[in-house]
Amino acid sequence: MMDVLDDQPEEHESPELFLFLASTAHDMKNSISVLCGTLEHLLVDGSVKTAAAYPQMAHMLYETKRLNNNLIQLLALYKEVGKPAYPFDPNTQLMADFVDTVRAQNKVLLASKNITFEVDVDPDADWYFDEDLIVGVVGHAINNAVHYTMDKIRLEIRLHDALLEIRVEDNGRGYPQAMLDSGNAAMSSDNQGVSFATNSTGLGLYFSSEVAKMHKNRGRVGSVHLENGGVLGGGCFVLRLP
Amino acid sequence: MTPNPLAAKSISEKLPDWKDQFYLLVDDFQGMRQLLRESLRNLGARFVDQAGSGGEAITMLQQTRYDVVLCDFNLGNGKNGQQVLEEAKVRELVRPTTVWIVVSAEKGVESVMGAAEYQPDAYLIKPITEEVLLSRLNRAWQRKQVFKQIDVAYHEKDYLKAAKLCDVRADANKVHALDLLRMRAQLLLRCGEDAQAREVYERVLAVRDFIWAKAGLAKIKMKAGEYLVARDMFREVISENRYYIDAYDQLAETYQHMGQFDEAAKILEAAAKLSPNSVLRQRTLGELALKLGSTLQAEKAFRKCLVISEFSIHKNPDAHLGLARVCGIKNEPKEAMLLLAAVQKEFHSEQVRLRAKITEGMVFHESGDYIRARKSGDELGELLALTKDRPAPAICLDMARLMFAVGVKEPPVILLTEMIRNNHDNELMLQEVQEIFEKARMGEEGACIIAASRKEASDLMNRGVLLWKTGKLTEAVEWMRNARKQLPTNLRVLFNCAQIMISFMQKHGYDAVMADEVKDVLLHVDRIQPGQKRFAQLMEMLAELAALSNT
Repeated sequence: MMDVLDDQPEEHESPELFLFLASTAHDMKNSISVLCGTLEHLLVDGSVKTAAAYPQMAHMLYETKRLNNNLIQLLALYKEVGKPAYPFDPNTQLMADFVDTVRAQNKVLLASKNITFEVDVDPDADWYFDEDLIVGVVGHAINNAVHYTMDKIRLEIRLHDALLEIRVEDNGRGYPQAMLDSGNAAMSSDNQGVSFATNSTGLGLYFSSEVAKMHKNRGRVGSVHLENGGVLGGGCFVLRLP
Repeated sequence: MTPNPLAAKSISEKLPDWKDQFYLLVDDFQGMRQLLRESLRNLGARFVDQAGSGGEAITMLQQTRYDVVLCDFNLGNGKNGQQVLEEAKVRELVRPTTVWIVVSAEKGVESVMGAAEYQPDAYLIKPITEEVLLSRLNRAWQRKQVFKQIDVAYHEKDYLKAAKLCDVRADANKVHALDLLRMRAQLLLRCGEDAQAREVYERVLAVRDFIWAKAGLAKIKMKAGEYLVARDMFREVISENRYYIDAYDQLAETYQHMGQFDEAAKILEAAAKLSPNSVLRQRTLGELALKLGSTLQAEKAFRKCLVISEFSIHKNPDAHLGLARVCGIKNEPKEAMLLLAAVQKEFHSEQVRLRAKITEGMVFHESGDYIRARKSGDELGELLALTKDRPAPAICLDMARLMFAVGVKEPPVILLTEMIRNNHDNELMLQEVQEIFEKARMGEEGACIIAASRKEASDLMNRGVLLWKTGKLTEAVEWMRNARKQLPTNLRVLFNCAQIMISFMQKHGYDAVMADEVKDVLLHVDRIQPGQKRFAQLMEMLAELAALSNT
């Protein structure tokens, strides 16, 4: 009878512990946000651009963004087992706006690392998805690509077989086999193939695939997968949304 | 400053000059305020004020009319960001053009299903880069332009006009078309135009599985009394998106209509787990639990209600009163009396005094203290004679039941007579009144009172309508003014009163004083029973009259 609520988890921890964890996490997120912002301000400052420490600072921004992404995922996943989780809030998105947001969030990092960012999209097209979640997933993919690329990252968005296909490609050496495997494992229904212990990328893919699966329409479900090749010949992160 | 490429690219309408706007930053974390201030400065902003708490924000909003408010959701102790927004809107501390952006470390469930009136213009999730801030400001501003006139019509409670505007805008605006159609359907439901609302939902469902459209169709089924169908539809919506909190509340309401109060309570508990900060939901849950005899659950819900409404502009006496009932059931009458004293100290109104007195009587009655219960009943009768103010009909019926139960004779009869006159065509309520009379061993007497009071009310109304139909408009208006005084909550009398005054103005010309009177009457009706077709139609007619007189 109550099947719709069967996935409601029970409360395991004490409310005090939850409040403590939540407020600590909140505090940490605030600190990281400030750290990110300060670094971005510094990196666009003319006097800093010529400083010898500029590459190290760029790397600090990359690591800070990684920290932030991981924290978002931890918060979302932690809540998944016991507490209200990330809300799902889809809406109509104009591609021009979506790409603007993705670009705006990653601009300073990409510029500081001297990475060219190519975009191939029809700006007038629109689709229906949760903007914050998808911007987060794509941002995470871009941050990963920063690690693997030589000097180019390409965002391609097109409609294909009534699915919106978002591709983040780079011109690096491609993903190692273990990551391609864990990418496909993340999409399997039971998630048993994901090894959280081996690398944090597994966690990132798990999060991305959870977000993709929240998007449903007429019996079709969103998905993520990893492959090598693409236009730039390196690693490709592919997100498909119905 | 170099021109920003983002701003230049997405201009379809002229954007405001963000340099000259007045900004308010609200965040309890000073580092964050500094960072945002620096970002705004980099965008050229010159007037940036800061507040470190909700209370401070309200003080500043009272002093300055800001163009843009960036407010963190989490503000430590005191009001949270949503409560600041609600208070600012209710007290009109912001202009309709003010762009309000809620900033938060993570997205909350409330952002998916907040009450439409108190939604911010945008949500921003940290970390926020300058570019993201600017693009969201531009987007929020453009959206505001699309909704501007709709918001004005909504504010004037001319819902039919607002619904029409939604339709016009939706055709011209691709990005916001869905939002506009969604709002149009909600407005049509608010106007009692369910068939038209269904048409909107079905039209968008032909394009895609929009969950809000499914939930909308389910709501229409519930309103039509098709509870089983509505129940299954709401359950489907929840299984598709378990964060669609509104569907839980609607499903609970459906169960209540079906008399399945335990199922209703279960659903509300699940919703309260996902989104614990809704005062209304916690209150409904508490009242359901009381009905089911789950004292513990009722206590928990009412206590939670007290905590979350402490800093809210929507604070109300219900949780105190409910908690007092809980104390009565737990046989702690002293505790209950303390709560009742507190609620009257906090809310000064005749209604609260009345409601506190009924609760007092119930507490004594339940704990077996019949002498004190009788005293409360007598005092209730005296209070009723002193004021014309009455709580909701269900509470009035409880009041009559209690007075009879404790042995008070005359005041409950007077109260019930009053209720029949004010609800003379509400068969369900008349039945309930008859049952109360029967339980008090006054069945025959009650039937006579009901018949006489009904006739009195309908004569009073018919006479006015007759005057109107025979063209004696001035007399008809006078007659209805008097009828309204005698039957202050009779919906049909109030509607006819408004209708006749509008016809009067259609014939004799617009009159601002009479128009205000009509508006008062209609808003009063809408408070008693929202969502009626005639309300929306008469509001539209009134607005058209006013517009015509201006040209």
